[in-house]
Amino acid sequence: MTNATGPQVGVTLYSFTNEWLTRQFDLPGLMHEVARRGLGPNIEIIGFQSFKDFPDVSDDTAARFKDVLAETGLNPISLAINSDRFMKPGQQPIPDDMLVEYHKRQLRSAAKLGFPIARSQFALPPHLLPDLAPYAEDLGIVMGVEVHAPMCWGHPAVQAYAEMYDKLGSPALGWIPDFSGTSSRIPESMLDAARKAGAQESLIDLLKEIWPEPGMSHEKAGKLRERALAAGHAPAHIQAASLAFFILANNDPKSWAHMVDRTVHIHGKFYGVDDNGQEEAIDYETILPLFRDGGFKGTIVSEWEGHAYDARDAFEQVRRHQAMCRRIFAEG
Amino acid sequence: MLPVERIIGEEGLESSAEGLRLAMRLPWYRSLPFSTVEVEAVSIDGEAVDLAGAEVEHDGKRWALAEQGEETDRFWFVRDSSFLILPGRNLPAGTEHEVSLTLNISPPYIPGMKRFNHQTAKLSVN
Repeated sequence: MTNATGPQVGVTLYSFTNEWLTRQFDLPGLMHEVARRGLGPNIEIIGFQSFKDFPDVSDDTAARFKDVLAETGLNPISLAINSDRFMKPGQQPIPDDMLVEYHKRQLRSAAKLGFPIARSQFALPPHLLPDLAPYAEDLGIVMGVEVHAPMCWGHPAVQAYAEMYDKLGSPALGWIPDFSGTSSRIPESMLDAARKAGAQESLIDLLKEIWPEPGMSHEKAGKLRERALAAGHAPAHIQAASLAFFILANNDPKSWAHMVDRTVHIHGKFYGVDDNGQEEAIDYETILPLFRDGGFKGTIVSEWEGHAYDARDAFEQVRRHQAMCRRIFAEG
Repeated sequence: MLPVERIIGEEGLESSAEGLRLAMRLPWYRSLPFSTVEVEAVSIDGEAVDLAGAEVEHDGKRWALAEQGEETDRFWFVRDSSFLILPGRNLPAGTEHEVSLTLNISPPYIPGMKRFNHQTAKLSVN
């Protein structure tokens, strides 16, 4: 059982991307399903996934969303916004003033929809934070940057943000850890998906050899490609095997300890929780106590990303993940 | 095929007085500005289609495919299909055709990333 004053659990609707893309649910339908299954009440939503009129939600959209919140008892915790700086592929990023305005539009939408937290991304350069922090403060919103694979504490982009956070001292800025950056191994379900796509065992072995090596993810992916091509593996099989380089990294799970104080929200990234309540790749038993014992009082939303490579029942996976998080929080 | 890999839309292929209309799905988890979406190639029964006069339609609006790179503030809602209009081409209703589509995306928050997508499907003309 979760202590009422300790960390809370919840879910991001991103976990149900397969069900969303295949139009099994519209937004009210999905929210009702989450509530019916007891996977709330705390929810995160990606603005650009669930709201057709994003980044500028209309009064009507906001009113209808609030009606569904009232019907379901769900609690809007975090709206994921996007730092879309590279609007024209291969060309210069958009000008800073446009990027700032783009974030303000999304922050206004977050406020209108009733979300207290907005998730941003490192594509927003830290020198623009002085323009956005007071704006978020005025709206009553906390903007947290998502620390996602391959990043973790010590990465240059994270350090540049940390320095700006120190300089500004704004209560409207913080971290949103995503545990993908501290995976201890490649999930077996991901390897199985590569096998199903046709990857041979020798290619899987090569992936398992290169993935944990030190170095940049894209360089390691290039190394796998080079060696696998030389060994005669098909490009399509190499692409299937390379997913591991792009969505997870093997930084030290204990490194989150440096970020607990400024953590405003957590993405509980996971790939599959087994019958014994263990995550396949991420050592929750090591990571969650850091936040529990460090005084984190926010929400961890279950974020199942297995949909990037397979089609298991996302609702069942989220149920298992929440049970695991509750168990570890209660052990404190 | 995973849902996120699908690029030929459920609405399939339609032929009308103005031309062919092919449904397309966005192969990503979120809506993207059309400027980051590239319709690279279409072929019908193995023959490449000239896309010079093609248009794109989404949510009741339409523009030239050739100008799509400028559409930075028009978003493809990820749950909906877009339609590729091929003016001047027609196929008899009810006939079956092998349609191939190549559609690439460059997510605008991940510098340098380009995701290539290709799908072939047998479609019956509506």
